[in-house]
Amino acid sequence: MVRSSSLNGDSSASHRRTPSRTVTLGHIQPQAPSCRTVYCNDRDSNMPVRFKGNSISTTKYNVFTFLPKGLFEQFRRIANIYFLGISCLSLTPISPVSPITNVAPLSMVLLVSLIKEAFEDWSQDPPVSQLLNPSMDNLVQKRFQNDMSINNSTVEILQGQQWVPIPWRKLQVGDIVKIKQDAFFPADILFLSSTNPDGICYVETANLDGETNLKIRKALERTWDYLVPEKASEFKGEIQCEQPNNSLYTFTGNLVVQKQTLPLSPDQLLLRGCSLRNTEYIVGAVVFTGHETKVMMNAMNAPSKRSTLEKKLDKLIITIFCVLLTMCLIGAIGCSIVTDREDLYLGLQKSDWEYHNRLAIGFFTFFTLITLFSSIIPISLYVSIEMIKFIQSTQFINRDLNMYHAETNTPALARTSNLNEELGQVEYIFSDKTGTLTRNLMEFFKCSIGGISYGCGVTEIERGIAQRNGLKVHEEERSTGAIREKGFNFDDPRLMRGAWRNEPDPDLCKELFRCLAICHTVLPEGDESPEKIVYQAASPDEAALVTAAKNFGFFFYRRTPTTVYVRESHVEKMGKIQDVAYEILNVLEFNSTRKRQSVVCRYPDGRLVLYCKGADNVIFERLADGMDDVRKVTREHLEHFGSSGLRTLCLAYRDLDPETYNSWNEKFIQAKSALRDREKKLDEVFACNLINNDMKQFIISSETDAIREAEERGDQVEIARVIKEEVKKELRKSLEEAQLYMHTVAGPKLALVIDGKCLMYALDPSLRVTLLSLSLNCTSVVCCRVSPLQKAQVTSLVRKGAKKITLSIGDGANDVSMIQAAHVGIGISGMEGMQAVMASDFAIAQFRFLTDLLLVHGRWSYLRICKVVMYFFYKNLTFTLTQFWFTFRTGFSGQRFYDDWFQSLYNVFFTALPVIVLGLFEKDVSASLSKRYPELYREGIRNSFFKWRVVAVWATSAVYQSLVCYLFVTTSSFGAINSSGKIFGLWDVSTLVFTCLVIAVNVRILLMSNSITRWHYITVGGSILAWLVFAFVYCGITTSRDRNENVYFVIYVLMSTFYFYFTLLLIPAVSLLGDFIYQWVERWFYPYDYQIVQEIHRHESDASKADHLEIENELTPQEARSYAISQLPRELSKHTGFAFDSPGYESFFASQLGVYAPQKAWDVARRASMRSRPKVPKK
Amino acid sequence: MPSNTASSSSAPAGSSKSKRPKYSKFTQQELPACKPILTPGWVILTFLVISVIFIPLGVVSLFASQDVVEIVDRYDNDCVPTPARANKVAYIQGGSDKSCNRTLVVPKKMKQPIYVYYQLENFYQNHRRYVKSRSDSQLRSVKDENQIDACKPEDDVNGKPIVPCGLIAWSLFNDTYALSKNNQPLTVNKRGIAWKSDREHKFGKNVFPKNFQEGNITGGGRLDANKSLSEQEDLIVWMRTAALPTFRKLYGKIESDLEKGDTIHVTLLNNYNTYSFDGKKKLVLSTTSWLGGKNDFLGIAYLTVGGICFFLALVFTIMYLVKPRRLGDPTYLSWNRVPGGGR
Repeated sequence: MVRSSSLNGDSSASHRRTPSRTVTLGHIQPQAPSCRTVYCNDRDSNMPVRFKGNSISTTKYNVFTFLPKGLFEQFRRIANIYFLGISCLSLTPISPVSPITNVAPLSMVLLVSLIKEAFEDWSQDPPVSQLLNPSMDNLVQKRFQNDMSINNSTVEILQGQQWVPIPWRKLQVGDIVKIKQDAFFPADILFLSSTNPDGICYVETANLDGETNLKIRKALERTWDYLVPEKASEFKGEIQCEQPNNSLYTFTGNLVVQKQTLPLSPDQLLLRGCSLRNTEYIVGAVVFTGHETKVMMNAMNAPSKRSTLEKKLDKLIITIFCVLLTMCLIGAIGCSIVTDREDLYLGLQKSDWEYHNRLAIGFFTFFTLITLFSSIIPISLYVSIEMIKFIQSTQFINRDLNMYHAETNTPALARTSNLNEELGQVEYIFSDKTGTLTRNLMEFFKCSIGGISYGCGVTEIERGIAQRNGLKVHEEERSTGAIREKGFNFDDPRLMRGAWRNEPDPDLCKELFRCLAICHTVLPEGDESPEKIVYQAASPDEAALVTAAKNFGFFFYRRTPTTVYVRESHVEKMGKIQDVAYEILNVLEFNSTRKRQSVVCRYPDGRLVLYCKGADNVIFERLADGMDDVRKVTREHLEHFGSSGLRTLCLAYRDLDPETYNSWNEKFIQAKSALRDREKKLDEVFACNLINNDMKQFIISSETDAIREAEERGDQVEIARVIKEEVKKELRKSLEEAQLYMHTVAGPKLALVIDGKCLMYALDPSLRVTLLSLSLNCTSVVCCRVSPLQKAQVTSLVRKGAKKITLSIGDGANDVSMIQAAHVGIGISGMEGMQAVMASDFAIAQFRFLTDLLLVHGRWSYLRICKVVMYFFYKNLTFTLTQFWFTFRTGFSGQRFYDDWFQSLYNVFFTALPVIVLGLFEKDVSASLSKRYPELYREGIRNSFFKWRVVAVWATSAVYQSLVCYLFVTTSSFGAINSSGKIFGLWDVSTLVFTCLVIAVNVRILLMSNSITRWHYITVGGSILAWLVFAFVYCGITTSRDRNENVYFVIYVLMSTFYFYFTLLLIPAVSLLGDFIYQWVERWFYPYDYQIVQEIHRHESDASKADHLEIENELTPQEARSYAISQLPRELSKHTGFAFDSPGYESFFASQLGVYAPQKAWDVARRASMRSRPKVPKK
Repeated sequence: MPSNTASSSSAPAGSSKSKRPKYSKFTQQELPACKPILTPGWVILTFLVISVIFIPLGVVSLFASQDVVEIVDRYDNDCVPTPARANKVAYIQGGSDKSCNRTLVVPKKMKQPIYVYYQLENFYQNHRRYVKSRSDSQLRSVKDENQIDACKPEDDVNGKPIVPCGLIAWSLFNDTYALSKNNQPLTVNKRGIAWKSDREHKFGKNVFPKNFQEGNITGGGRLDANKSLSEQEDLIVWMRTAALPTFRKLYGKIESDLEKGDTIHVTLLNNYNTYSFDGKKKLVLSTTSWLGGKNDFLGIAYLTVGGICFFLALVFTIMYLVKPRRLGDPTYLSWNRVPGGGR
């Protein structure tokens, strides 16, 4: 980015940096006005500056900060703050309850939360630590231990005149270090010299950005000599550079050596987290250490999203709070009316304030009641849900064998546990096609050279079409010994094994193969033999092309910055092998705007050739005139390949004479020559889900006459206007038509196909609404050739416009924006690097695992969380309502009904565990049935289990049960309750009610469970037992402390009567009977879908179901895929299937919408920083 | 994302290690489970079982309740002489003779022991201000007699702690009943009317009343300063505060049978002031069964629930027979009900 040649003016340096859009993340670093000056190889001079050490700590807390920091985090939750307030209130005399009532559950919740935090901090593996030490591939490295082992790994530094190994943590700024091949850089290092000629080295940055291809770094020529210790010890440079910051791709500074100022660029900076490749060793000077390294300053977790359900939960909590206030208000009004100054036994004196002011009585009673009814707010709800979700994601999703991909050895990964239930409510899925659906398995499959088509493979789609037409496809016998390896699935006797020399135009073939071998950015690794070499490619198609060249006898085996070495066989005559070194003069890398890649190389004999590959339309435009027939035939071939489902790419070359080349160095010229194309196989597995047979398709494209006219006139503004009008017309027309179909019952399913260029105009604010309503009327929408930004825009259009839950799935850097824009982002942890995964909420290895993730895990999570929330709501409401009813009979004085400890332990102890078990093990139907009846998923989309109606049902149940518990006991316990005529007091009655309540509420769990494991029995039984044991102990002890021993001996008194057992049977039974009848009526007359499915399969055990399904899906993947493809509609339009997409409309949109278009969409954390930053102001 | 960061070639050590999750029934969510489905059979069976259990229990407890004979006599109004009824509060606070005679007729044979209760209504013994106004530690041991913080406003007199302190003790009920049958006095045994645990553990044997009822206003009964608190059972009973504003407290027991038609004369001293808050006072004589006193509620509740369950079982059976819904009928599935299945 910005490179400053001098850093003398400090302020100007920092000023200059601001306008450039650097990649900054997280909190903005305080930009110290000064620059950093490092004296290399001179620890004493660096001393006064006190640079930070190189030891790192990735733990969130340490021993000292844990408590304050952790508590602070906890009190950011509103429920905890609320309870803190209530606890303070309960310290005052207006409280009817002792502080313990509120303090105990609060401290319990805090304790559990803190333990969870500590546990996570201790054992979880954050992205950071992997970034720092991926060599330890232990999945769950203890964070702390990980830090320790990183800090203690050794590196060699220069001391005196020799290399001395020291641990990383002792490394200091300014040290001269030596890094050997494959080692990780211990800090950010200024690259001085390398064993490679030309002062270059290769680094792998996969841990930083996920890109697996090697990058080249180049040292300043002035420092190349400082390689051996004797020489290096003489190096006394002074580095002036920017302050530590989190921008990975910028670095500005100067190196002052012997009064000479040399500018430094990111090319000379080796970042911590990267590793050295293909270089014996390098020498460098440490610039940034420890937490000041760029990777550490980038260290942050994925930004957290909150699930929609949780937001609805907030609304529920607010409603509960309103209910609480209403209850308190009723009580306060009641109290101010009822309080009778003549109640002699209350001992009210004329001097008491209570004697005079009814308003004051009401006011204080209000707060009294708030503390009393505080149990209505489910304080442990959030922590329980968190625990449940945590276990769901770490134990269930991450460990699901159905989502483990053996080939790539990748299990599923939930990167956040916040969104589990969101997976159960997804309504719109946005999928990237390239790579995600197609899995990015690129193979060289067919080619057409000079108008002749080669390759005898039959694609899936061709087979599918043939099958549908009733033709039998003859699998051509593969010639024996046909080569098949990763990336290569080509067989044609006319080309293989040197046979191409007998083809009509062998020179053309030769050029094609050379183009394949030379025109790319692949780096070879490993042994230089055809069998063992490994190609490091930025994308799988590049690797496939080089592999193809290898198999045609043009083996690319070595690359230096200026040369490509190719071992060519069969060039002159059979069996001859010759190594050729091509000097690479220019490389024009591929980008989405140019849609092509070019290389200019010089043959050993001095011949200058330009090789070019790219999209058909781009290449065709640039072809030399003439050869129209070849051009025509080739285009036909392209269309044929395209309709067979192949991706295509065109290759071309041009011989250059030196004069032309020299002038070309200034500008880009057109190439001429024959043209060839080659194909890649498209693995079309899931496309069948997108477009069904009977769909009517709207295809909106910009190819209309009006536009062509405008284009001919060349008026840019006019073009834009015309296209916009055209798109508008088309959209309106389609919408009308679509709505027409919507009204007919059995209309065809609709699909919309729109290309990126039209989308650009359709996303215009004035057309957005139309586009949205049209899209929502369609079953599927296919957006082709769209930019990452457009992907994100479409996603957020639906997310915000339709207010539905969206999911984005993608695998590549271009999907990052889309993944982050949706409610749930899924990354495919596959071929295209880590960018998508790093930005995602869940990572799966294969697209097909989405089925399990959504239909099984998502649906269950949604169901479970809903039930847990409802149950919490119910149990707290029931409990508090009994208290509320009692208040009416105490003259609204706010007397507590239950003992302090009963009330405080009710939430955290006597009813806590069964609900967690419910949240973990609840299943309505088994996993196989979930997948067999995908329609069940609609219950989540409709939000069937978390509607206000459901809340009302639970609230009614709570009111009913609390009334039963309260009224039955108080009514029946009025007279003598045993044969010796004794009477119950207040605490006897309340303890009896409490016992009934604990039993009823716990057994309710069993009634609402669809799947009752032994853990249900254990926790439900255990909770009731825990209550009884607690009661026995608590009622049996007296303390010397001054307290009201209200419940002393109460439980024993209760248990000595028959009456106790009679009520204990009656009341829970009556309470639950109401719910039981409701459930039965609902199931019988208004059954949920899952209930019907349960009934259909009621006689099957789980295992038999799985087997059954297995048999039903007996199709092999091949067959299934063929079948699916045969279901596809016939090819209507001709397309050529260009392999790359992403036209560069970003900048256009950026300027239009004031949105910052990402230059590199893959930057993980940038989004987060953008989020926290205010929106970039419109220009 | 863990270790598949590096490409296969760059981390050969990483690829050799399998990340395949270990199988366990827990993580694969395949724990054995019972999956109850509310089929008509089960539902009807449940209802029948409940009714089969509940109806006999209801009958049993109703019988027990029917055995109990209870005489209730409200006297708060009648025991104020007619002239004084205009201002009952003045009467009850005045110094005139408070004795009053009541006559009760035994409706049925009452077997001993017959319990004598007093019943107060509209007396909020569960008022917050009232309930907390006591000191349990003071009641239990002598050395804690200064723990009177909770007892306000009846905590001390002229700086000396009141034992027992607090509003509850202060407002001790002090009407007395003397019963006689056919001019033969009936002994009312006042021992053993409190719960044993209260007597033995909550009220100390060596704690004696001190400074009791010596304040400006007398709230209620006085205590014999020579009897330890654990022997003052009236106080103990009174201090087990009632749950509701209408409550009964045990006064004593008569340890002889009463025959049907017996006339019982009660001479009571109407000392206790319930008039200032319109409280009612009743005298209750009652026998008990094994289930306690007169308590029809429990039996009726059991019978009703059992009856409802039986009725529901019947209704559902008929409904099932008349208009059956086939179990697992796919036409009930939402995507089959709506033609086209919606969008």
